[in-house]
Amino acid sequence: MDKTLLWVRTGAAWLVALLIFFPILWLGMTAFKTELQAISVPPKFFFTPTLENFIEVQSRSDYLLYAKNSLITSVASTLLGLLIAAPAAYSMAFFQTRRTKDLLVWMLSTKMMPAVGVLIPVYVVYQQFQLLDTRLGLTIIFTMSNLPIMVWMLYSYFKDIPREILEAARMDGATLYDEFRHVILPLGIGGLASTALLCLVLSWNESFWSLNLSSAKAGTLATLIASYSSPEGLFWAKLSAASLMAIAPIIVFGWFCQKQLVQGLTFGAVK
Amino acid sequence: MSFLQLKNIEKFFGDHRAIKGVDLSIEKGEFIVFVGPSGCGKSTLLRLIAGLETIDGGNLLLDGKDITHAPSSKRDLAMVFQSYALYPHMTVAENMSFALKLAGEDKKVIKEKVEHAAEILNLTRYLERTPKALSGGQRQRVAIGRAIVRAPKVFLFDEPLSNLDAALRVQTRVEIAKLHRELGATTIYVTHDQVEAMTMADRVVVLRDGAIEQVGRPLELYDRPQNRFVAQFIGMPQMNMLPIGEFGSYAESLVRPLPVGGHIGVRPEHVTITNAGEGQLLATVDFVESLGAESLVYATTPHGVQVVSKQSVRSSVRAGDTVSLKFEQDWLHVFDADGQVVSNAKGVAK
Repeated sequence: MDKTLLWVRTGAAWLVALLIFFPILWLGMTAFKTELQAISVPPKFFFTPTLENFIEVQSRSDYLLYAKNSLITSVASTLLGLLIAAPAAYSMAFFQTRRTKDLLVWMLSTKMMPAVGVLIPVYVVYQQFQLLDTRLGLTIIFTMSNLPIMVWMLYSYFKDIPREILEAARMDGATLYDEFRHVILPLGIGGLASTALLCLVLSWNESFWSLNLSSAKAGTLATLIASYSSPEGLFWAKLSAASLMAIAPIIVFGWFCQKQLVQGLTFGAVK
Repeated sequence: MSFLQLKNIEKFFGDHRAIKGVDLSIEKGEFIVFVGPSGCGKSTLLRLIAGLETIDGGNLLLDGKDITHAPSSKRDLAMVFQSYALYPHMTVAENMSFALKLAGEDKKVIKEKVEHAAEILNLTRYLERTPKALSGGQRQRVAIGRAIVRAPKVFLFDEPLSNLDAALRVQTRVEIAKLHRELGATTIYVTHDQVEAMTMADRVVVLRDGAIEQVGRPLELYDRPQNRFVAQFIGMPQMNMLPIGEFGSYAESLVRPLPVGGHIGVRPEHVTITNAGEGQLLATVDFVESLGAESLVYATTPHGVQVVSKQSVRSSVRAGDTVSLKFEQDWLHVFDADGQVVSNAKGVAK
């Protein structure tokens, strides 16, 4: 009986996993089809794969430029975010006041606002400061949209570090810098890494702001994909090829950091 | 001038006045114990001295220097925490050398000092382990080692034995006392356990509600409590406290004029159980605790006051018996209605 149940459960789990994974699988297959095969009904599961879409995408638009933009903006926004979020989380975790909780909730509440609601003001500000279509501009907006999550995550990690350990360090003569360098950093490195990873992924995948605030010069891979759903009509195969090229790095990256990512995403859930 | 001086120290948490103008002078090399019930402010007072909380009023002087607002890192004090607070990512040796490393001490000197401390504390075999791989008692010793390698001006202990089991607690208590004798370091030790206070301290500071009730040598507190609180806090089982009215005319022979609404206090060892007619009060025995070397007899007077008698002989009385309680006249303390002492036992002076 138990064995049957196990089989049923395993089967169900695989089914759900396949269902979720199917679009990506389909995307991967379509990328290697010709345009004609891509739109054929009924869909073809067996075909001779071709690389022509990838060659076409690379020749029509410079993949590496977009990839470079994605890499620079996501890494820079992650570093900038950590630089701001870590001290903020530190003070909130270890020097709590009556308003700390309210502040945290307020920060998170900014994530609940639809981004499009502030598109116009942000756009105008960016225009005035000449940040449109610049990597700096994207880095700033990525950082700002990730900050609430970063502060929350780091806050919950730092809170797990017993206060007495920091006090002991202070008694041992540690300055604020020593405390951070010798105690918080080594004890919180797991949390910092998880937070950084998640933000890297979020920035890499970000599309709303990059589509609206950047184009040819600072455009990220998200804008590259979007350019294939163009007014001239949809090119499914090329769109898929471009998408695959855009998500491949982050999938590979995510694969290797699975553990940390899962830990980061479930933060605070299991204590 | 004294080594460490607290002058009218105040601390507020919001509107709550947690420490109410504490004055205290501590001499170099003294072992001072702060004792009191939970919430009396003893830990807060220690943390104020440590610089882990800000002082809201008054002055703190160490070795002639005003350190009221100096950060912890600049006070040259070492603290042993109740939770040990070891650095979990460092080995025992690294834990103990951390302060010296921060101070930029020479590597060879650090090694020598750590090895010396480890030897004193019997930790030499564990120097390369992390705290995770140590038992509670060993962790506590590492925490103490971390403090002694620094040779600080004052050692601060915040209930260091509370997390240890009973046997280890007694052992560590003896070790700390021995260590203090060897090092002769000025020490402030916080505990809620009056046995620790009585056995370790040169002087005990009894605190209640953020204020000092009495300061004195352990036996001085035991023999000459200044008020009912100290009288009942020090000593186990606690001092019997009977309303003066219980004694009728007998009380008049003790003190004149009689404090209205006052109490007479007498320690359990000065209450004996005698045949009817020989004692001052009749009482009914509630129960008897036979501890082997001594017996504790709990009895209730007709007015409902419980009295404990401690006897070194095995008691033959049983629950439900009516007995006569005899109070040794030289060992009675008289307190007024406010709980302040009117006269302490005369027996001590003899």
